[in-house]
Amino acid sequence: MKKKELGLQLDKIDYQILKLLDERMELALKWKKLNGDNNGENEQTKFLDQISNRNYGLASPQVCTQVFRSVFAESHRLQSKDFKLIGFQGAHGAYSEVASKVWNSGLIPIPNKDFTEVFENVAAGIYDYGIVPVENSLGGVISQVNQLIIGTELYVAGAVELNVHHCLMALPGTDHRELRTVYSHTQALEQCHHFLVRNKLEPLPFYDTAGSAKMLSEQAPKASAAIASHLAADIYHLDIIKENIEDFEHNITRFLIFSKEKPEVDGNKCSIIFSTAHKAGTLFKVLEVFARSKLNLTRIESIPNQQGSFAFFLDFMGSDKDEKVRQTLDEVRAHTRGFRLLGCYEEKKQL
Amino acid sequence: MKNLKLAALKGHKRSVVRVGDVEIGNGFTMIAGPCSVESEEQTIMIAEQVKAAGADILRGGAFKPRTSPYSFQGLGLEGLKILEKASLATGLPVITEVIDPRDVSWVCEYADILQIGARNMQNFSLLKEVGRVNKPVMLKRGMYSTLAEWLNCVEYILHEGNMQVIPCERGIRTFETYTRNTLDLSAVPALKELTHLPVMVDPSHGTGKASLIEAMSLAAVASGADGLMVEVHHNPAEALSDKEQALTPQEFNSLITKVRHLYDYIHNDSILAGKNEVPEEK
Repeated sequence: MKKKELGLQLDKIDYQILKLLDERMELALKWKKLNGDNNGENEQTKFLDQISNRNYGLASPQVCTQVFRSVFAESHRLQSKDFKLIGFQGAHGAYSEVASKVWNSGLIPIPNKDFTEVFENVAAGIYDYGIVPVENSLGGVISQVNQLIIGTELYVAGAVELNVHHCLMALPGTDHRELRTVYSHTQALEQCHHFLVRNKLEPLPFYDTAGSAKMLSEQAPKASAAIASHLAADIYHLDIIKENIEDFEHNITRFLIFSKEKPEVDGNKCSIIFSTAHKAGTLFKVLEVFARSKLNLTRIESIPNQQGSFAFFLDFMGSDKDEKVRQTLDEVRAHTRGFRLLGCYEEKKQL
Repeated sequence: MKNLKLAALKGHKRSVVRVGDVEIGNGFTMIAGPCSVESEEQTIMIAEQVKAAGADILRGGAFKPRTSPYSFQGLGLEGLKILEKASLATGLPVITEVIDPRDVSWVCEYADILQIGARNMQNFSLLKEVGRVNKPVMLKRGMYSTLAEWLNCVEYILHEGNMQVIPCERGIRTFETYTRNTLDLSAVPALKELTHLPVMVDPSHGTGKASLIEAMSLAAVASGADGLMVEVHHNPAEALSDKEQALTPQEFNSLITKVRHLYDYIHNDSILAGKNEVPEEK
């Protein structure tokens, strides 16, 4: 084994330890949300007892005990602060995490394997918020998320419009001339199609953009790169080979932020959801109400419902504290079924 | 020269190569900047200085073909990123040299014009590669090349489908050693007879001596060149490459003023015809 290779392996392990440390802190924060003041001290004492008796391995029991005492102390320190958590789908560095920072950089973003887990953990009170993408200017509606919104009892606490910029990244020291394959989510690969063709790179679909960056840093496949956010490159210590490799500059994803409690904010935008009877002109009647009240609609979307009917999503400019808006919504309620005001919030943009 | 099916002037309108708002072949184009991209700070500083002086395009080398393998080889990809930043900061398009066929597509991602250096003029695999991209190519004359050999290399690029080629005279090897090369300005009117493409001159490599650059620049204007490419460094004594031939920003400023005046003088028909109406002094 060459000296350089050994050095790289050591680096890799150190980064892995660091990453696991962060993961442990995240779990400690989630633990606190479920267990309140019980910070897990009993379990930790038991664990320290066990490792002080261990009679194998190179690191001495004293050092191991010391290390874990510091780890537990840091967990307790973080647990004692009143952090607010926001769940997102994907690995760290996902565009949802980037969007969560646009909305409120003071929140602690927590990764989740899928959208369902985000909604469930917000409902269970483990996260204060959940952030999910609802639509993209190039790819359209993200139907899986919209299905979940139909069934949820959570409120919309905010929205973010993010112009998505893709970066090509590779392990430090990779010669860009030797790159052959690029991993990423299919949507990101499609959005960078021309760039990949120009540079003769083969796209390889992966379940997630940030996940592909993570995989690259952990498995180091030969002659490979990943497409993900700038944040992902920072997190996984990858070198950015080229920024802004998307074929079309205008690539905007809209995210909604959900919370369990109805947020007390002065918003300027409202989201409602409803369905209508299977009769001619019912949707028209609803739209007519908005037209008469001169409320500006910003989005209308129909999503097929499980019962064979359609759910309509409708966003408009206005505040639910405004008397005119209240009256309009009362009228809409009368024309619809299953009406629900998802929330009144402020939309943030990073374009 | 009979083989020049695409490069020959015969029956052709003179070509203009467009880069952003700049039209090479329509008016006089000034390309200036450091020999090598040394750092972000250095490149952006020089870019701002040459822009203020009136340059149209920024030059800067990221991949350097050096005589010795122990000399500074350039910053590579990092250098390309710096050039892109300098271009964004100043609005100047960027030209940079490519020496490896595998780098051609990557250089295209960052630069507006690709340069093939004198040492690579007859690197046919590189010529074919740049012939397949959608960016203008400046082809420097090889230091031992005849005009026919040079134009055949131009033809290689055109033949692959890239019609945006700019030949650039940069001096040839002669028995004279006082100058780095002998700037062959007769090549300019000769090329103008032979090809429809715009022709540039590089007096920095052509002379290798900062003190000779201004005179040869003016001579290049008189020879009918469509533009100049000169090396400028904020502190030539500390340049990592070609320090003897770099102009200071002040020297470049004075050079560009004279060059533009001379160009206007030559190309203003009324002045040459003696019909220029000079306002009477009273």
